[in-house]
Amino acid sequence: MKKLYIIILALFTVASCDILEPEPLTSLDATAALVDGSSANAILLGAYSQMQNINYYGMEYVLNIDLIADNARYQGFFDSQLEIDQRAVPFTNLWVTQAWPNIYRVINMANLLITEVPEIEDPLFNNRNRVLGEAHAIRALAYFDLLRIYGEFFIAGSAFGIPLILEPIENNDFSLIPEIGRSSVAETYNQILDDLNTGIELLEGFNDRGRLNFWAALSLRARINLYRENYSAAIEDADRVITEGPFSLLSSVFDIYQATEPTSESIFDVEYNDQDQSSFNTYIIRRDEYNVDPSLLDAFEDGDERAELFTFSRNSFRSDKYPDPTNSNNAKVFRLAELYLIRSEAAVMVSENPNAGTDDLNVIRERAGLSPINSFSSMGDYIDALLQERRVELNYEGHRFFDLVRFDRIGSVLDMPSFRKVWPIPRDELQVSDGILVQNPGYETL
Amino acid sequence: MMKKLLISALVLFLVGNNSIAQNQTVTGTVISAEDDLPLPGVNVRIKGTTTGTVTDLDGRYTIQGDANQVLVFSYIGFDTQELAIGNRSTVDVVLQLDSKTLGEIVVVGYGTQSRRDLTGSVGSVSGEDINRMPVASLDGALQGRAAGVFVQSPSGTPGAGISMQIRGNTSLSASSQPLYVIDGIPIISEDLSGLFSGGQATNSLADINPADIESIEILKDASAAAIYGSRGANGVVLITTKRGKSGDAKIDINGFYGFQRITNEIEMHSSQEFLNLMNDAARQDNRALGTNYPENYVSDIWGFDPNDPDLQNTRWFQEIFRDAPIQSYDIAVSGGTDKTQYYTSLAYFNQDGVQIGTGFERISARLNLDTQAKKWLKVGTSMTLNRTIQDRTINDNSLYGVVINSLAGDPLMPVREDDGSYADPFDYFGWWMLDNPVLIAENYYRFTRTVRALANTYAEATLAKGLTLRSTMGIDYTYLEDEAYTPIISRESVNGNFNGFGNYGNTQDFTWIAENYLSYTNSFGDGLHSINGVLGTSYQASQRDFSSISAQGFPSDQFTKLSVAARVTAASTSGTNWGIASYFFRGNYNYADKLLATFTVRADGSSRFGENFRFGVFPSGSLAYRISEESFMKDQNVVSDLKLRASYGVVGNQDGIGNFASRGLYGVSAYRLAPTLVPTQLTNSNLTWESTRQLNVGLDFGVLNDRITLTADAFVKTTDDLLLNRLIPGISGFKFVTENIGSVENRGLELAIRGAILTGPFEWSSAFNISWIRNKVLALEVDEQILNDSHILAVGHPIGTFFLIDHEGVDPETGDMRWVDLNEDGAINSADRRIVGNAQPDFFGGWDNNFRYKGFDLNVFFQFTVGNQIFNHSRASYENLGWSRIGTGFPLPDGNNHRLADNRWMNPGDVTDIPRASLTNRNWREYSSRWLEDGSFLRLRMLTLGYNFNPAVIDRIGLRSLRLFAQAQNLLTFTRYTGFDPEVSQNARDPRVAGSDFGTFPQTRSISLGFNIGL
Repeated sequence: MKKLYIIILALFTVASCDILEPEPLTSLDATAALVDGSSANAILLGAYSQMQNINYYGMEYVLNIDLIADNARYQGFFDSQLEIDQRAVPFTNLWVTQAWPNIYRVINMANLLITEVPEIEDPLFNNRNRVLGEAHAIRALAYFDLLRIYGEFFIAGSAFGIPLILEPIENNDFSLIPEIGRSSVAETYNQILDDLNTGIELLEGFNDRGRLNFWAALSLRARINLYRENYSAAIEDADRVITEGPFSLLSSVFDIYQATEPTSESIFDVEYNDQDQSSFNTYIIRRDEYNVDPSLLDAFEDGDERAELFTFSRNSFRSDKYPDPTNSNNAKVFRLAELYLIRSEAAVMVSENPNAGTDDLNVIRERAGLSPINSFSSMGDYIDALLQERRVELNYEGHRFFDLVRFDRIGSVLDMPSFRKVWPIPRDELQVSDGILVQNPGYETL
Repeated sequence: MMKKLLISALVLFLVGNNSIAQNQTVTGTVISAEDDLPLPGVNVRIKGTTTGTVTDLDGRYTIQGDANQVLVFSYIGFDTQELAIGNRSTVDVVLQLDSKTLGEIVVVGYGTQSRRDLTGSVGSVSGEDINRMPVASLDGALQGRAAGVFVQSPSGTPGAGISMQIRGNTSLSASSQPLYVIDGIPIISEDLSGLFSGGQATNSLADINPADIESIEILKDASAAAIYGSRGANGVVLITTKRGKSGDAKIDINGFYGFQRITNEIEMHSSQEFLNLMNDAARQDNRALGTNYPENYVSDIWGFDPNDPDLQNTRWFQEIFRDAPIQSYDIAVSGGTDKTQYYTSLAYFNQDGVQIGTGFERISARLNLDTQAKKWLKVGTSMTLNRTIQDRTINDNSLYGVVINSLAGDPLMPVREDDGSYADPFDYFGWWMLDNPVLIAENYYRFTRTVRALANTYAEATLAKGLTLRSTMGIDYTYLEDEAYTPIISRESVNGNFNGFGNYGNTQDFTWIAENYLSYTNSFGDGLHSINGVLGTSYQASQRDFSSISAQGFPSDQFTKLSVAARVTAASTSGTNWGIASYFFRGNYNYADKLLATFTVRADGSSRFGENFRFGVFPSGSLAYRISEESFMKDQNVVSDLKLRASYGVVGNQDGIGNFASRGLYGVSAYRLAPTLVPTQLTNSNLTWESTRQLNVGLDFGVLNDRITLTADAFVKTTDDLLLNRLIPGISGFKFVTENIGSVENRGLELAIRGAILTGPFEWSSAFNISWIRNKVLALEVDEQILNDSHILAVGHPIGTFFLIDHEGVDPETGDMRWVDLNEDGAINSADRRIVGNAQPDFFGGWDNNFRYKGFDLNVFFQFTVGNQIFNHSRASYENLGWSRIGTGFPLPDGNNHRLADNRWMNPGDVTDIPRASLTNRNWREYSSRWLEDGSFLRLRMLTLGYNFNPAVIDRIGLRSLRLFAQAQNLLTFTRYTGFDPEVSQNARDPRVAGSDFGTFPQTRSISLGFNIGL
């Protein structure tokens, strides 16, 4: 009896050893993630899902650009937003710190696709080129968005571009993350445009407004060329989107924002729904934090319908551009109105004729119920009108600060020192880079 | 009965024959102090004579003697007692267990040991100390009881998680909590609830009925904890439940009923004072900033007269807090035969929270059974089934917390409007309040219901003399249901246009364990050398499944079940698992009670470790030398025990590792309702346990036959391979990877003194413990890591270091804060933060006193913590001093101010630490040292007065014992802290960000009456 007891126990002891090898139930091992066409498509969609992050198109990358400028004012208690509102962003700023890795995660997903997708053997993988095209275009957008914040995108010869990582991290192993310093602004732009050119070639015929489609890639190239003052190229792309693309301006400005699905004016929305929410409504309405700067309200001319896109509550105005309380409001990354403004600006700047872009400007004005402008007497008048129009049209959509930087007005309009045109490289990144990553000029001693 | 009488008579007859005639008959009963049962067979002798007798089966004796003679009671295993007869005819005696020969038996993990033979550091707390505390969970009852053990209730939420650190914070990852082992089963002790409720977790230890606990042992040094290997680094808490003893059935019925209220209410300004302060703010700005506000600017614009005595005056703290009942009842029956013993109990505990909308309820049943099945085989079981219901509200740093919304509550705002509806804060003058806190407390539902079963069955076979094999199979099963409902009328629902929303979730955790071990005991050389050893295996594995559903669109707040909701907005199921396989050995050697040695080793394999480090080996060794056994110590009778101990060893901590933390993973997300794959973490194949090396030197000292004992321990505990989120280059798309980096050190000194100060009719026994622990981060992969807005992790500083914008007081000329512009850039912001203090106490401890006089007993228990700082974040709201969001010219401050705002700067020359009032935020920085305070306190934690009725009297009504008592918990607190209560931590279980108070549910004071009945 005793012996039997011991034998049973001994058997049991041997049988228990597989408890050390459980498999996760809701995740995949990274090495098994990209194996065929359908997983490539799932990872591509994952890149959009990553763009939805609150630090990126989920809210902050859009609203913080208005907050640091004169469109929004902060009325909450988060230090991160207060620092941005006060226009003295330190290198410890939480958003600056978090946006960096979150945007780079999009890039790393694109890197994986760009490197691996051509090698995948899967006879059923029939949209391989489109996946590659989107991956290239997404990488271009993400690098451009990084460059606009962390790099001197406005100085062609600047050394302060962005670190370019173009390969996936080997084995997903953190110890194999390459040490990469900053590329120059020119190198960064070259990489972005290379990607974009490849993407545009591969995306021909792809029109999905919730994805980085052919027209969105063209629009991105137009915006980039506008930023780097390569105006004729900007005109060419903007013109093609306006004339050949399947887009039209909505007749009412209210319709742009009421819809929770892309509209006929949308070129690319990062889409949200009530189970996959953005945070615009939460921060603007529910938490009452990104309030409207009174100077934005003053900027509207009488009769401008866009001035009605605000409501007063408690003791301040709030933007009505993200009205859906279930947070299904999309991030409007590119909409047709911006393309008119790009074409207008580029036409004037390339010809140095202040009236070369008046028609396009008037398209936007008239849609908002304003009378057209006849002519501008000087370049200065035009630029004032352009900045005014971009402000009243694109406020709360993440453009204002970049526009003021492009026209070198952060001193006169925002009373900011010139070095703050670029935001600081996060402290954490400097800490882990062993001196390879260099801080932006002006921030070294802060 | 007949049988008994017969035997007694026989005994008496036999003994009586030897006696010589005496002139007085003395009778009495001898009772064992161990279990309050009568002791049969006790030798009763007249001192200096050969006259004697023995007690009968009921412990009774009769003897003849003179008034001037002395009775000597002796019995093996008990201390001999001498009592003068005097003119008494009845002499009852309670015999104490012999502390010297048998000593206190302590549970040490896979066995027991006599305390005298311990070579490591083990703290013990008796079940009695636990049982009498009116708290929901056993960990809460350990506060101040054992040296080196720092227990903190981070909030007063009934049934909430408690943080316990044994010998300091050894870990930076979320877990510095010890391993809890109940009757041999390492149990799940984390928060399994998926409900969001702010910083306060549920407590799975609250599933255990404290009244069932016989004793708690705390394994502190490496020698003691090494038997638990990779889970021992934070110390181990061994909980032993009560078991039956052979003898007649004993029935014990206990109960108490009492009331609780918050320990302290923060005094706020009245409406009149609120308006005056706001007007002062405008006035001060006129002086300092040259603004041009008219007299009574704010009160006029709001439309009130600050001198109107009839203004609405809501005292928000009185509205959300209440006097709440607490009650507990339990009944236990135990007994058995020589072969089979049983203990069974049923208990009910119900605590209403002092804040409206909170409470905790538990019903629990237990059966512990042991039987000698065969001559060589003993089998037994411990089973308990418990149901707990926890009713919570959101608190701490959350938008819709109850306490947080009332912090700066506008006194001009009523709780309800005249029509009976809840007042809406957006109609009044406080920016801070997002929703009416009374509405939240009364109308949000947030229930967590748990069914917990703990069961284990063992078989112990004697294989040969001194050699036993014990096998245990155990199950720890939890089924937990979360149910929450956010009402239609709440702002949260109105703003989101949800029409009410509800969540339902459940978690099922099934953990099994199988352990087998051999024990061997033997002695050689006439008992000069004795050895014992344990060798065994342990396998434990866990499977956990979760599901959750959210829905919105409810027809009315009468319904809260999801089936009535218009739309399900989210549903998910998920699961996870882990396993540990272990092999362990412990050997003890004892040379003539003089030299003692222990060697322990455990090898643990864990599914959580990276593939390169699957198995870890954790050895430890210890030595003790009992000087009091040396011949030169034999001639004195002052020092009864003197033992030196030293131990060294390595133990591990794997709790901070996520179940799959070593693997590179892709998780599932969604875009436009289509599933997507996204990378969620990078690979770290070298991920492994944290290892803690600990050197412990101790001294056990007893004088006057151990009437007074002292235990002192000094330790140095160094934890290497700390598991931590290591910063990595963000170009990888990640900010962190879990990695073994850095090390932290805890050095400490612990002292525990215990003594019977007065004996005789008035008894006073006292126990005092105090611990000094210094915590320091020794190395980090990346130094000076900013953890959040208020904390940093930096080499050379302790865990829980505050990193805030600092100031140099208030300028007496201007009344403005003198902020420290660290980087001299002219702006005060987060780049100006610096290290300003930490949340670690300098020392802490407890002082327990028991007094006894006739039938009365009095317990006075003090607890203290000294030298820690608290970031009183709540003051940022209720010490706003008028800072307003002016918007379109309409001043909107956070809300009201506390009474201490009366000390603010008013006129040039005022010297104070509170700046002037202002409508601007010039003097207000949310994360600044302005809110940093001393958190030291001394607290009268328990005061209990009981009366024990004379057994002879109550025997007539059929009772064995009857005690009535009154008790007060947290009756007095001495502190300089200005918040609700100094015992607070917003993030209950993350030591790195400890010591913040932000809308935390405060601690409570309770007064209750109760009874203990024995049948």
